[in-house]
Amino acid sequence: MRASRNKDKEEKLEAPAKLKAWWLVLAATTAVVAVGLGLTLGPASLGVREVLLEVLDRLPFVDYDSGLSEREQAIVWEIRLPRVVLGLLVGSMLATAGASYQGVFRNPLADPYLLGVAAGAGFGATVAIVSDLGDGIGTFDAVPMLAFGGALVAVSLTYLVGFSARRSDPVTSLVLAGVAVASFFTAIQTFVQQRDSETIRQVYFFVLGQLRTAGWDEVILVSPYVGGCLFILLLLRRRLDVLAVGDEEAGSLGIDVRLVRLVSVLAASLGTAAVVAVSGLIGFVGIIVPHTIRLIFGFSYRIILPLTILFGGAFLVGADLVARLVLEPAEIPIGVVTAFMGAPFFVLVLRTSRKL
Amino acid sequence: MLIPKLAKKRRTTALVVLSLLLLGASCGSSTGSNQVAISANQETATTEAVTTTTEAVDETTTTEVMEPEFPEAIISLSPTATEILFAIGAGGQVVAVDEYSTYPEEAPTTDLSGFTPNIEAIAEYEPDLVVISYDPGDLVVGLELLDIDVVMQGTALSVEDTYSQITELGELTGHSEEAQELSDSISADLASLAENPVGTGLTYFHEVDATLYTATSSTFIGQLYALLGLENIADPADEQGWGYPQLSPEYIVSANPDLIFLADAIYGESLDTLMERPGWSEITAVQNYAVIELDETSGRWGPRIVDFLTGIHAAITDLTS
Amino acid sequence: MEAISCRSLRVNFGSTEVLRGIDLEVPKGGWTTVVGPNGSGKTTLLRSIAGIQASQGVIQIDGHSLGAFNRREVAKQIAIVPQQPVIPDGMRIIDYVLLGRTSHLGFFGIEKKSDIEIAQSALEELDVNFSESRTMGTLSGGERQRVVVARALTQGSPILLLDEPTTSLDIGHQQEMLEVVDELRSRLGLTVLATMHDLTLAGQYAESLILIEQGQVVASGSAQEVLTEDLITHHYRASIKVIEDDSGPIVTPVRRKNSNSLE
Repeated sequence: MRASRNKDKEEKLEAPAKLKAWWLVLAATTAVVAVGLGLTLGPASLGVREVLLEVLDRLPFVDYDSGLSEREQAIVWEIRLPRVVLGLLVGSMLATAGASYQGVFRNPLADPYLLGVAAGAGFGATVAIVSDLGDGIGTFDAVPMLAFGGALVAVSLTYLVGFSARRSDPVTSLVLAGVAVASFFTAIQTFVQQRDSETIRQVYFFVLGQLRTAGWDEVILVSPYVGGCLFILLLLRRRLDVLAVGDEEAGSLGIDVRLVRLVSVLAASLGTAAVVAVSGLIGFVGIIVPHTIRLIFGFSYRIILPLTILFGGAFLVGADLVARLVLEPAEIPIGVVTAFMGAPFFVLVLRTSRKL
Repeated sequence: MLIPKLAKKRRTTALVVLSLLLLGASCGSSTGSNQVAISANQETATTEAVTTTTEAVDETTTTEVMEPEFPEAIISLSPTATEILFAIGAGGQVVAVDEYSTYPEEAPTTDLSGFTPNIEAIAEYEPDLVVISYDPGDLVVGLELLDIDVVMQGTALSVEDTYSQITELGELTGHSEEAQELSDSISADLASLAENPVGTGLTYFHEVDATLYTATSSTFIGQLYALLGLENIADPADEQGWGYPQLSPEYIVSANPDLIFLADAIYGESLDTLMERPGWSEITAVQNYAVIELDETSGRWGPRIVDFLTGIHAAITDLTS
Repeated sequence: MEAISCRSLRVNFGSTEVLRGIDLEVPKGGWTTVVGPNGSGKTTLLRSIAGIQASQGVIQIDGHSLGAFNRREVAKQIAIVPQQPVIPDGMRIIDYVLLGRTSHLGFFGIEKKSDIEIAQSALEELDVNFSESRTMGTLSGGERQRVVVARALTQGSPILLLDEPTTSLDIGHQQEMLEVVDELRSRLGLTVLATMHDLTLAGQYAESLILIEQGQVVASGSAQEVLTEDLITHHYRASIKVIEDDSGPIVTPVRRKNSNSLE
């Protein structure tokens, strides 16, 4: 009693969503190009050839004389390179965390700051700056510590509040709890910030986001968190796809929804907290990059997550280039650059959101 | 006072220089005397002739003569204005100054704030004149509603502003002569410092805070530095002429200033913290220990600009000899 | 050993009792369909057995208590086709159906060729055109329903729970789907528990029927035993006529001129 079938179609095997190898190559190349530009462009005019030789010189068994002075070498190795590497780390973490959040919360506008990470970090950083704790470069050592702590406290609080709500829809409870916690921390952050007029600029400097590093310290500080969290999120990518059909159906298909959600949120939040502690609140990366990838390459997280890692890093390094070069030698805070890109992007999302 | 931060072996020299400066700066000002003058509106600071023919010499009169009134209960919410007032001899007329008016020592410091002023707290002192340098939005209006005279003396953009502020305060408080003397003395001191521009051919970076905001040569302090012939590395970076650009570390390292002035030394910056910044140890100023910590005088535009510049002058002389 | 066995199944939503003690048994390889008026608790019953609705009482799958299984084991035993599935618009059809293989995949979640073949043949059985660029959002209502069933079939579980599987389908596709399910049932030994509102079709394809109303079983047995004019008229408050046919009772609505003559 079967109706006509598709027998006349050629019986080739329909491939499931798969990450094509050349996409990975493309993404990696983009990242490398971004790094290259980041190393060669800047207010100190160093030639491309010289920088290249300088980099090659550091490889084992390779010995070139780049002709750069000590000072110029210091610019490449101690100022530009750590900054670019940090950009890669921060960009990839924010983009991937954003993509994961979008999967877990089934919402295209979810970003890594949804559960209060940003507000908590901002509060921690403000407290550190205003109370002038820590040693080192002014207050820069205390800032990452307290920012990180603040972010973690905020996320934990969100989870506690979200769970205690006991609604039938855990996702909505979490989101609402996140909004409440974020508002709370933002309010006290603003209060603390306004009380001390001398440090307001420093606070804004943090809040608007910057990739200015204190050398390799911050890179070292952040790397284990970013590495570990990205790894975990990558492992979960298939399960994130299953979450797309909702908690109940995903459960009936064999996924432990609560566990997957918890681990994803934890990994994404922890990684985000670490990078935010060091680079401030850079917004929109977690939305722009995943969506663009989704639109161009495909819907499945098996495609999206590996690509967000690479393209996210490249994107932020690129944004940092813009931040550094547009008003050279003054710099625009990088959060402003990403926001500029974010506004038209949201319009794009609205118009194409059917596909998402 | 300036505390030039030099290499250890130069510290004693610095102390000697410092003591000399202290002596020089403590030229006392004459005590204010309330001149009996016929005056009307304080804000215009003009004198008007009284219509009666009697000349009132002392306070008691029988006719309606406008009493000579110089304010006796002045509040200053501007540290610079405080310095000026005491320098022109009007210190006895001052009843309260804001929390940051730390100089001179005899100034009656209170916990009034110049940044977030509380009108009621100000009014409690029953002032007859309030001098401010910043109005967050409703201070002037509020004081006028309470019928309190207020004069606004904002941040000086050039030394000319300093002179005109001194003159204005002199007229308001009845110390015009001392005010003129002060202005002349400042002018003369600056001129004599400029005659020996020890900074000629040297570049400098003036750090406002740890986020690397700086002041170009178009700013007040930049103009002072320029008197000594110093060249500011931030000038090419400020095409729009805002005066306070934020520089990137790369730019500073690459510009390689000969001198670095730390206005944020009061927040903990020093040669040591600079050396920890990546790439900064390659800067000439850092390698030669030519990093000079400034105190709060670098933020004021009153009589102590002479002390400030003298200190800079001495520090540079030390370093280059 | 029955495939599915429930005893005294109760479900409360707050203070409302939705299921008030249901006893139910479905033999292995059997097909039981649950019928009843709207709000009788059919969907809640199915969801409880699938393990996605909290309940009290005993539920046993193949002799083992349902609560003893973890999520993955349950998925390997039971596949449910929900009444209102969540449809991710941007997902490709083949990927959606492949979600059914989730419980069979290894740690890294990579599908093997065999997995893909299973998904493809399920789609073909159900006559769905799934050319490469088609996404879930481009499906018609009927196609969508068939794709969801395809996903359940792809799970390869011995027990199939179907919650109103034919609502959006035209009569031809209704029959086609039920035929496919029946054929797979006999070929693979599947056990089917379904809810349906079309009483005739329910009778034609099920081995036994259960009629529930207000959370309680009011009748159970063969189609002839359950689909009687008395029972249907009473519990559905409808005006119907039952016609005998070889394939099973045909329940058809009739309109009485006298609108008040409902018993």
